[in-house]
Amino acid sequence: MIIDDKCKDQFNFEDIIGSVESVGAEQDIDLSRLTFIEPYSMLSLLLLGRNHLRNTGEKHRLVNIPLSIHQYLTRMDFFHTGVFETDRPLDEKFLLKRSAFSKRVIEVTEIPNKERESVKVIGGVIEKFRKRAGFILKNWISETITDLFVTVISELCQNIFEHSLDSGYLSMQTYTAGKENIVRLVISDSGIGIRGSFDQKKEVIYDSPANLIEKAFTTPISSKREFGYGLCEVNAIVEMLKGSIFIRSANASVTALYNKKNKGQPLMFLKNDLKNFRGTQISISLSY
Amino acid sequence: MIINIRQCAKDLKYKNPDLITRPIGRNLFAKVLEKLAIIGLHEIVIIDFEGIKVIDSSFIDEFLVRLILLSRDEKKPFYVKLRNISESAEINIDLVFKSYSHYNNKKIVVISDELRHNNSYFIGPLTGAEKQIIDFLKINKSARVSEIADILSLPEEETMEIMEQLFETRVIRKDTQAIFSVV
Repeated sequence: MIIDDKCKDQFNFEDIIGSVESVGAEQDIDLSRLTFIEPYSMLSLLLLGRNHLRNTGEKHRLVNIPLSIHQYLTRMDFFHTGVFETDRPLDEKFLLKRSAFSKRVIEVTEIPNKERESVKVIGGVIEKFRKRAGFILKNWISETITDLFVTVISELCQNIFEHSLDSGYLSMQTYTAGKENIVRLVISDSGIGIRGSFDQKKEVIYDSPANLIEKAFTTPISSKREFGYGLCEVNAIVEMLKGSIFIRSANASVTALYNKKNKGQPLMFLKNDLKNFRGTQISISLSY
Repeated sequence: MIINIRQCAKDLKYKNPDLITRPIGRNLFAKVLEKLAIIGLHEIVIIDFEGIKVIDSSFIDEFLVRLILLSRDEKKPFYVKLRNISESAEINIDLVFKSYSHYNNKKIVVISDELRHNNSYFIGPLTGAEKQIIDFLKINKSARVSEIADILSLPEEETMEIMEQLFETRVIRKDTQAIFSVV
């Protein structure tokens, strides 16, 4: 099966979700058409592969990976997860150096679903982020923005072990698209999703899955305790930084574009009836 | 009593300048609780965050919100005052306190040693009149209700109600002579 060149953002990647899930156990995934892959698409592809591995016990094989994509995925420790096989390993002479320039990333990091382990991993990610913040947030550098991102990383990672009942992945990168500098943080899991998490909380009323996602990140509702401030706080921080946030869970998504906000309400888009994709995937972007 | 949070965190083997996650909030709360065993009635407890960069909302919920609610315990009430709060910590505390107060119908506010972004000495949701009272007491140290009523141009009875609410919220003090003072 050949993957189309739709790994440039979360909206394009929608077309890939259904097609990868329909790939048979023995079929290879051909990446030859890819010209670029950003962190959300990378982690989503990883989750799709992991779902397949869990369902069938078989690994998908990625074939015909263009050199630049292969270099990038290797640099991001994508293959360290052990989810995919490849038709051939990347020759050592093509490995990207881990120089200061390439410190504009946080490699794919698994966030465990057990509290104690997870707290340790989150601490490690934050430590790495603080060391690289000068590179990752080069265009936004201020101590407060770095600190606010620490809060965002911490809150979103905690949601994985608190609510998803599964492990997840984090990745972060600064890159250029056209004339825009973009910093993107992605935290994704393939757990029970936001709706699954609120299944037992009957007092939380919503009229659609997307409406529930919207409530979860605009009001301090919690599936486990009286209040939960995490997503709500992340949303407030993204608004403060005039960024954008995309949350997808199961078959619904919410996008809030605070960077496009004029006077009054922000641009917010709710979508239901998307293809089902287990878990919750969150992408936060600042652009300059 | 002054409690140095960085030191408490080090005692618990947390070396990072960031206090994040619920488990760490719970452990710090337990540690501080041990120290509070010896405080006197209505004592001011200064929570010093020197050296701490970030406290996230999970930590705030498990540590600070619980500490402030505990300070209102009728059996052994005390006052909480924050010191050396970073800018991002202030933003996070303010967001959590505003959400808590809005959705729980129970106001939660904390006094700060330093001037904050709201140009006053507290973090959390207070009304304009309440802010004026905090500012007045900060400058004048203490006052009777009649003096505050004059400043606010409000009837004494109404002013007394506001003052009592602020006292219950533990952001101002009251002595046996009904003289109010700053925390």
